Amino acid sequence: MSQPTVVLDPTAGTTPSDRTRNHRPPSLVGVTVGLLDINKPRGDVFLDRVAERLGEQGATVLRYTKPTFTKPAPVDLRHEIATQCAAVIEALAD
Amino acid sequence: MHDIDDLERRGLAGVVVASEPFAEAAEAQARALGLDVARVFTPHPIQDRTDQEMQDLADDAVEALVSALTSA
Amino acid sequence: MLDGTTRAADEVVAVVPPALVECTVEKVAVNAVMAGCRPEYLPVVLAALEAVCTDEFNMHGILATTMGVGPVLVVNGPVASRIGMNSGVNALGQGNRANVTIGRAVQLVVRNVGGGAPGGIDRATHGSMAKLGFCFAEDEAGSPWTTLSEDRGFDRSQDVVTAFCGEGPRILVDQKSRSADSLVRALAEGLRSSVSPRVMMGMDVMLVLSPEHMSRFRDAGWDRNRFMAELSGHLTVNVDDVLAGAGGIEEGLPEGFAGMALPKFRPGGLLVVHAGGPAGLFSAIVGGWLNGPMGSEPTSREITP
Repeated sequence: MSQPTVVLDPTAGTTPSDRTRNHRPPSLVGVTVGLLDINKPRGDVFLDRVAERLGEQGATVLRYTKPTFTKPAPVDLRHEIATQCAAVIEALAD
Repeated sequence: MHDIDDLERRGLAGVVVASEPFAEAAEAQARALGLDVARVFTPHPIQDRTDQEMQDLADDAVEALVSALTSA
Repeated sequence: MLDGTTRAADEVVAVVPPALVECTVEKVAVNAVMAGCRPEYLPVVLAALEAVCTDEFNMHGILATTMGVGPVLVVNGPVASRIGMNSGVNALGQGNRANVTIGRAVQLVVRNVGGGAPGGIDRATHGSMAKLGFCFAEDEAGSPWTTLSEDRGFDRSQDVVTAFCGEGPRILVDQKSRSADSLVRALAEGLRSSVSPRVMMGMDVMLVLSPEHMSRFRDAGWDRNRFMAELSGHLTVNVDDVLAGAGGIEEGLPEGFAGMALPKFRPGGLLVVHAGGPAGLFSAIVGGWLNGPMGSEPTSREITP
């Protein structure tokens, strides 16, 4: 009797569960928005202007910078943003 | 993408800004993460831009950013 | 394949980027089979994977960067000859099963398990052969110097794999130098162009010295420390030559650095390995990528059964 052929999967073999984005507020008036600078050159100039424009629209803007664009932000920084902000913009990957 | 995915898990509304050549990478990463992370793209390149050009790129992106973070 | 290691099949070896998936010994073995490894290579693959999946090596950033860099793996210790690795003729090229398949297996794990597919999350502008799999052994027996692993704090008797984030190798020719002093100057001149003559200290480099080039230093009685000291002396760059705008080129260091003399490489940013065939007055340069906490640190791991 021949052995059954077993095919092994070289991939992770898992698919992430699909989640949906969080609820969005109707406007940014009175909303605290974090601007997370990924620490790539020129991104700060971009975010300076975004901060200005969001301020004009009534948002409160807080600024953050992660240590390097090549890695995810450290958990302490993510925690800080999450406790201080309701929304976040991360820029600028190129 | 990992950062915004994590911050959405923590209850925030998040959006990523990248330059256009990274649209495909962002889509692949969104699929891998299981969250269709909101994203806004600017024209490429970035590294050789003047301050004025960067400010113009920001002005052009603001509407899309606000729309990604609000339900309006 | 699993007979090649004493580790349990369900043991988690590493958390593999970019999807940050826990990868078991069995998953590594499946990919090692696909790469063409023999079972005795598996411990090297496992140690290499542990090295590249650390925060300091930063495989995530290396995969996602547009620069065409990948993990360059150097094997030291008795394991290299025991499994038949090549440190001699064509060491950085094709033709040796262990060299080629160990590097390939690590890349397949990152691609298959971590999900780092080119054209997807991997956005390398050109890519390079370093991303296909780049692994070789140091020629320890033929070298008068301490080994790369000894330089990095290991004992010569230990089996060690060192991962360096680099591009493909390029040849540095010097067929005329008969003195150590002349050759070290020539090597320094070539190394100054690693990545770009205008990139200073931010990116590391690996220099693969050939046996014939090594013989110049052996004959002069230079040990590794003497060589490194002499080489570093010739790698101090007059910043005015590489300032933004110098020579009509807009790339370069900011004006604030004018008048300074800086080392081309940071301390520890120059890795030297001895490998290659017995004939050929060339060495090879492997340019690096962003170094330090911002990018990638060379990372070594002991290879265990």
